[in-house]
Amino acid sequence: MIGDWANAQTWSPLVLAFMAAAATYLWRAIGTTIAAKIDPDSDLFQWIACVAYGLFAGLIARIIVFPVGVLEQSAMIDRLGAMVIGFIIFFLTRRNIFAATFSAAGAFLLVTWLRAGGVL
Amino acid sequence: MRFRLCIDAAPRLRQHIADGRTTITTPTQPEDTPSHWATYGRGLIDAAKLPGWMVVASMTGFGALVNSADMSMTVAVVATIFIWGLPGQVAFVEFFLLGTPVFSLLLVSSLANIRFLPMSLSLVPLFRGSKIGWRFRYLWTFMMSVNTWVGLLRKVPDLTQEQRWSYYFGYSTVCMGAGAIASAIGYILADTLPFPVTITLVLLNPVYFAFVFAATRSRAAALALIAGAVTGPPLYLLTPEWSLPICGIIAGTAGFYADRWLNRRAA
Repeated sequence: MIGDWANAQTWSPLVLAFMAAAATYLWRAIGTTIAAKIDPDSDLFQWIACVAYGLFAGLIARIIVFPVGVLEQSAMIDRLGAMVIGFIIFFLTRRNIFAATFSAAGAFLLVTWLRAGGVL
Repeated sequence: MRFRLCIDAAPRLRQHIADGRTTITTPTQPEDTPSHWATYGRGLIDAAKLPGWMVVASMTGFGALVNSADMSMTVAVVATIFIWGLPGQVAFVEFFLLGTPVFSLLLVSSLANIRFLPMSLSLVPLFRGSKIGWRFRYLWTFMMSVNTWVGLLRKVPDLTQEQRWSYYFGYSTVCMGAGAIASAIGYILADTLPFPVTITLVLLNPVYFAFVFAATRSRAAALALIAGAVTGPPLYLLTPEWSLPICGIIAGTAGFYADRWLNRRAA
């Protein structure tokens, strides 16, 4: 059992926000300190950039497949479908980020609106 | 690129006194490339295009989320500026609502942004060529988000080493300012925004970044992205807290070595 003081809801959200910020800044500070020893032309540097990219992709895929919070209230098929439409537009427009983002978000908005209105 | 920039500025001749001799240089020489204010301005302008508006959209969604959690508007703005990483911000609000122990809340919201470690590692060495850039490196990583990181990495080939920090500073100023204002606006608008709009704003951020990354020209990065997208969700089921760092190392290593293997085969 944990004491009442340990429950996050008994704390001030503002204080917690600053604590979470400090805990997040730790990653930035560690990276900045170690970075002084890294040569931007080295293999190590390239590998680290690859790790960052892999991490992003994993995070985005997780948000789409297993969302937490508000997104949980949307259907998996809607989220995946929006991504697929976005990628089709992305390659059709020769990698236009703007067109891809807005067609994916537009498709998702439309389908959620239709579901909310009871059409779908 | 550097040459083209110089034409934009009015040509000025400068006198340098070195070794007892006076030399005259023209702006085509590297030390006379546009002032920091000029590159700062270019950073402002570039960020005010698509990236800034994406920050506005996603932080509006975050502001609305904070409102729905019955926290104050100050919390929304503080979390945006100081955590400055949406996955951690969202985890912060959601774990607060779950009433978890403080330690878990801090651990999860911090680990959700563990990408800042490899991102800092690949951002900071870029400032090494500049005295001011290097001195303020802890500030640059404080202001770093996926947007500002990608924004600078893409622009590096067009900038001299001395121009990098001012461009990055301008770019980050717009993103952070837009994020802070948007989270306040989202908080205020929370009750008036229809549900489909709120949920789309939340989805917009991961969707936008998916395409930002998909636009990479590096084959190693593209392979790491594919590996990460495939391994991310199953790893999350195995270990929700640690899935991200593990996924990053597995996918990054796979992308890095697959790229080298393809290079060797082509040679």
